[in-house]
Amino acid sequence: MSASNSNDLHRSEIDAYGFKHGEDFDYDSYEEFMSRYLSILARRASKWNKLLSGSGSVKRSSKVKRYVRKGIPNEHRGEMWMCVSKAKKLMDSNEGLYQRLLGQELDPSIQSEIDIDLHRTFPENIYFCNDAAASGKQDSLRNVLKAFANHNPEIGYCQGLNYVVAMLLIVLKDEEKSFFLLEKLTKQILVGYYSKNLRGLNVDQMVLGELVKLRNPNIASHMENKMAPWSLVCMKWFVCLYLDILPIETTLRIWDCLFYEGPKILFRVALTLVLQNEESILTARDTSQIVERFRKVKSQPLNMDCHTFMQKVFLDSQPLKMATIDKLRSECEQNL
Amino acid sequence: MTGRGPPRLNGAGAGGMCQFKLVLLGESAVGKSSLVLRFVKGQFHEFQESTIGAAFLTQTVVLDDTTLKFEIWDTAGQERYHSLAPMYYRGSQAAVVVYDITNQDTFARAKTWVRELEKAGSPNLVIALAGNKADMANRRMVEAEEAKAYAEEKSILFMETSAKTAMNVNDLFLAIAKRLPRNEKQPSGEGGSGHTLVDPAQDEKKSGSCLTTPGLNFFTLTSELDLRVFKFEDVYGVILNRISTCYVVNK
Ligand SMILES: Nc1nc2c(ncn2[C@@H]2O[C@H](COP(=O)(O)OP(=O)(O)OP(=O)(O)O)[C@@H](O)[C@H]2O)c(=O)[nH]1
Ligand SMILES: [Mg+2]
Repeated sequence: MSASNSNDLHRSEIDAYGFKHGEDFDYDSYEEFMSRYLSILARRASKWNKLLSGSGSVKRSSKVKRYVRKGIPNEHRGEMWMCVSKAKKLMDSNEGLYQRLLGQELDPSIQSEIDIDLHRTFPENIYFCNDAAASGKQDSLRNVLKAFANHNPEIGYCQGLNYVVAMLLIVLKDEEKSFFLLEKLTKQILVGYYSKNLRGLNVDQMVLGELVKLRNPNIASHMENKMAPWSLVCMKWFVCLYLDILPIETTLRIWDCLFYEGPKILFRVALTLVLQNEESILTARDTSQIVERFRKVKSQPLNMDCHTFMQKVFLDSQPLKMATIDKLRSECEQNL
Repeated sequence: MTGRGPPRLNGAGAGGMCQFKLVLLGESAVGKSSLVLRFVKGQFHEFQESTIGAAFLTQTVVLDDTTLKFEIWDTAGQERYHSLAPMYYRGSQAAVVVYDITNQDTFARAKTWVRELEKAGSPNLVIALAGNKADMANRRMVEAEEAKAYAEEKSILFMETSAKTAMNVNDLFLAIAKRLPRNEKQPSGEGGSGHTLVDPAQDEKKSGSCLTTPGLNFFTLTSELDLRVFKFEDVYGVILNRISTCYVVNK
């Protein structure tokens, strides 16, 4: 009985975060991966429990960095995101801010931009789907986006944030925490990504192009020949931080690193995806074929195995210095 | 018909595949993605996810003996993503500018898109204006006459559509296909009567309005490999006034 139950669980159409598996979800690969990953998860969990015993929080160290790269266990993920990003500190020193922002009237045109997207944010997710009135996650989404827009009039509401905040709410299960983590994300980690001119976002997509040029000039020149700007392929990677691009478990592993290490991880992952698809890119006839092929990354079994994928991400892009990225950023900024 | 050869689109011949790029533009939530979903998969989602950047889809249509592959760029509607649009419409042969008939602002926005395309799009760009959500006529804020007059003034295609009920969706894409700039390449003077691919501009004049359905047999093939199995997809407005058959091959 219990055996068949656990089997049902594996075959369940809904994952641990409330998402319905896509049409092309490969249950066999997933089961095969999970059978290996469960023991890794158990090992990581016991290491983290030891790390956190006592203080319940962590300080920056090479050990913690290593731990984060190997994945924060689900039960600690939310707290650790708040801790390593220093969003917790920000929240503690701004008591009452979130409630105040919620109480303020929001510019009606921005409010309506937000409202339009509420029903269109993960409509397939059990927490956000439109008959889940009971769960109230859509209201939380509206609240966080409103508070954020009130606090950041120069950003207001940028499409894409709806997905990011929804995911924060799923993991953190708390509006105020989600708000402060979003503050950290947009003000310190991904500066200028969601601004009205999307400048930071555009610069970083160009930086990716330069990084590809350095790593694999072949791919870069092929893209150039096909007159395909990288943003054609990677826009959503950078806006949604790999949500809906890669399997959810893989995305969360990326976010673990994003909150600890900063934006470098976005480039590392991008490089891995590009290198992984070298063959596809080089044999593509035209732009649309390239884009078409990149659409398949979500269902590639390799990318479902988040553990191996993350190992590969760090191998593929070693070494990648923030100084390199900053230098490329200022060069690209001038060309923009 | 002999001597002229099969109708050509962008230089491809009979049995050949001709592909063209089509971009959808318009305010957020007017139903761009829904129109594409309807056209490509025959589906409609009451709650369609908002598009980030752009989505890319393809759909293959067999019009008489010509295989047409639509490469569709479905863009994000929010104003701040506007600056990316040229990347998608540059090099496109066709553009569908969508507005929502229940919302005046989206019609105003559609007009600015048309102006931008006239300025910056390729010279032969086929532009179609789609007044979507026509099923919500009880909340109509944009009169069809107004939009139609505007489209006529601009010499662009116009249809009111509903991604929800499928009204005019396939017809819109087919009307565009028929308008593609092949006319110049065709030897003139060929009789086009009864042939869908010939002189569509004239056809439209004949029927008096670009609102009328082209009257095609429209089938959706259930599988790309099994061309014999098809289901009847589109029952509205099928007026078999022309000898032409159209298959849609699921991608
Ligand atoms: N009643 C009705 N609703 C529609 C129709 N087309 C789209 N909708 C609804 O309108 C909403 C927005 O549709 P989308 O297709 O996502 O709009 P979009 O233009 O792609 O929006 P962005 O991706 O944000 O630019 C969805 O909830 C659809 O279900 C229609 O023809 N009739
Ligand atoms: Mg859309």
